[in-house]
Amino acid sequence: MDCIVTIEIGTGAIRVTAFDMNSGLLGSSKGTYPTFHARPDYSEQDPEQIFITMLYILKNFLNEKIHPQKHNIVSICFSSAMHSVITIDKYGAPIGNAMVWSDNRAKLEAEDLKNSELGKSIYKVTGTPLHAMSPLNKITWLKNNDNERFQATRKFLSIKAYIIQQLTDEYVIDHSVASATGLLNIHKLKWEEDALQRAGITKQHLPELVSVLYSPKSLKKEYQTLLGLHDKIKIIVGSSDGCMATLGAGVWGDGKATITIEESGAVRVVGKEVIQDEKQRIFNYVLTEGNYVSGGPTNNAGSTFEWFAKQFGDFTRDYELEECIENLIIDAGKVSPGSEGLLFLPYLQGERAPIWNANARGVYFGLNIKHELKHFIRATIEGVLFAFFSIGKTLQEHRGFKSLSANGTYASYPLLTQIIADIFNLPVHIKMNSGSDSVACGGFLLSATEIGMYKSLDEAAQKVKLVANFHPDFHNHSTYMKYFEIFERLGVKLYDEFGAIARLQQDN
Amino acid sequence: MNQNVLKRDCKELHAFPHIIEFAYKKNNTIQFDSLKRETSEFLRLYYVIDGRFDWIIDNQHHILYPGDLAVIFPGQSFGGEKDLLDIGTVSWLHLGLKLSPAGAMELGRWTRLNEGECRNIFKILLLNPTPVLPKVKEAATLFQTISTELLKQEIGFTARINQTIDELFILIARQLSRQNNARRDFPKSFLMLEESLRANLSHHWTVEEMAALVGLGITAFTEKVKNYTGFSPLNYLINIRISEAIKLLKRQDVNVTDIALDTGFYSSQHFATTFKKLTGYTPSEFRKKNITPTE
Repeated sequence: MDCIVTIEIGTGAIRVTAFDMNSGLLGSSKGTYPTFHARPDYSEQDPEQIFITMLYILKNFLNEKIHPQKHNIVSICFSSAMHSVITIDKYGAPIGNAMVWSDNRAKLEAEDLKNSELGKSIYKVTGTPLHAMSPLNKITWLKNNDNERFQATRKFLSIKAYIIQQLTDEYVIDHSVASATGLLNIHKLKWEEDALQRAGITKQHLPELVSVLYSPKSLKKEYQTLLGLHDKIKIIVGSSDGCMATLGAGVWGDGKATITIEESGAVRVVGKEVIQDEKQRIFNYVLTEGNYVSGGPTNNAGSTFEWFAKQFGDFTRDYELEECIENLIIDAGKVSPGSEGLLFLPYLQGERAPIWNANARGVYFGLNIKHELKHFIRATIEGVLFAFFSIGKTLQEHRGFKSLSANGTYASYPLLTQIIADIFNLPVHIKMNSGSDSVACGGFLLSATEIGMYKSLDEAAQKVKLVANFHPDFHNHSTYMKYFEIFERLGVKLYDEFGAIARLQQDN
Repeated sequence: MNQNVLKRDCKELHAFPHIIEFAYKKNNTIQFDSLKRETSEFLRLYYVIDGRFDWIIDNQHHILYPGDLAVIFPGQSFGGEKDLLDIGTVSWLHLGLKLSPAGAMELGRWTRLNEGECRNIFKILLLNPTPVLPKVKEAATLFQTISTELLKQEIGFTARINQTIDELFILIARQLSRQNNARRDFPKSFLMLEESLRANLSHHWTVEEMAALVGLGITAFTEKVKNYTGFSPLNYLINIRISEAIKLLKRQDVNVTDIALDTGFYSSQHFATTFKKLTGYTPSEFRKKNITPTE
């Protein structure tokens, strides 16, 4: 039987998934690698560890699930997290670790650029918000703060570009991952000269730009032998995981948006046009030429739930974290919408869209003597989802949508999905239970389109079967809106106090 | 409760050459210079039963309350903040340690803990950033048992005392590793473990050692690692070894045998076999073929 394999290089894990040609799941396997924080603002990963984990997981997966069944692999499609930087020396070897999206050391470089005229024009053409996450600012940071490493660097790669280079010897970066570097002109799909200049590099320092459908010539001989793959198999460089998840969630065309709730989260729409936001709150990334995924990311989604569960969950009976979270969610269901007047701002790790304030911090507001643990639980959930709503609201200033598709680990809890429907006052669709995540599914659809199974990505996206399980309750919606109004005001009002408390925390 | 302060060479300690001093002391008066800051070459355990004690341990100020236990290593300084013993009840044990030929601390022949267990216990103790363990309630009974047995010297007291000291070590090690980790945050504990593995990659780690550092039993540890990482503990370790080896191979200045030993393989043969199995290359082929000049 023919099959398609996808490889996701995520923030903390590699996931390999195989589909039959009807998008049925044949199997999937995962391997993790750590993120190191050598200093408070640093988030780094070991590129060789990512590579070897990928190789190991892929090899075992093929040997256990694919080769014994004599499945014939038609293509292998990659995707990866955005915003990573690996510096490569003149021998092609990495210097130091990879800086990943959550690495925050370039925050001053970002702020400096954001407040300048140059920054405004760079945002306009690159579509990437001017934030410490963007490789533009990370490379600028290296230039200003670690000049020895900067000078020794011959190529600045993304993690995926590095993995592909290791496997095939080609230095390439797809338009999608490139569009999240802050260095790419997303209208012309060329490196943007002003941005390169700001970072102090030339296009020779970057890999060659290719389409997300590009296929490197072949795997190196040794890897073909190791993995048992012949050289007819099409390797597709693929896109970023965010774009892939949007396609895989079946969100394509007008009137739809997707909400992803993993450790961090995002609200996204897809369109033929770039959204130009005067306040620079929205990202625009390229999925394929002429298709843009626009939206806003939040730092505080699943990570906030996990934080809460670790601090306040009941572990006395040997519960695992997931079990503990499930129990908390049951208790949250016992409280009515609005948490009886308790409100939560979830900015434990600062916030990106729409307020883009690294100093923002968590707040419980409105606490009174009657509030119990269960109110805190519900308020925490509602606060996180209010943050998603404020991203959605910002997007709707530019482009309306009438339905939502929810995906990611935390979107599958019915209580959360219902609260999303009520807060947004929109029907929420979730994918029919197929066992595969949206990123892998997006990889399948992209590959299937490339080999001609579908005429276009539009047609491919139609194939994703969604069910509308959650309809909004208008009464709940109006309750939520009364609280959201206060939520939104607090986020703005506390700007100076956030700054003051963040400074104190820095000194500790 | 009877109180006693027993020092080496007193008759009660004749059967215990490893015990340098044991005390169970109720202190009612303040005496100057009763607890001067000193460094010693033995291990010191202090357990607070009653009162509040201001101590300087390894140049850090600590305040101990009932139930708190301080562990002071050979070479660390220890004494009262004002060089005196505060009012209250405290029990202590000074224990002579042996040094193995490799320089590791060992308890000696009296213990029933096996060599691996001892090694793990000291590893956990040494990795612990603070010398004070809060609220070790179970330790109260153990110190009391030692005290009573020493005074009464009834039949079997030697075995009972040595066994109780073993129990004390087990209690401390378990409490420490649970405190560091526990179920709440396995990813965090696992990251700490990964950092320890990387810091000492040439060591031939066993699953038992790794599990002990995370504060779990071997079975639970193996299962959790598999769930969390997708690999068995030993395969995960091999991943780290090979990642480091790749880094060293890409630099031209380290020879393959040194890389093998530095990254924890038994021999260059063992390294070559594992490397080939995982990457499809022998180490020297990899070195030759994976240099891709960027210019």
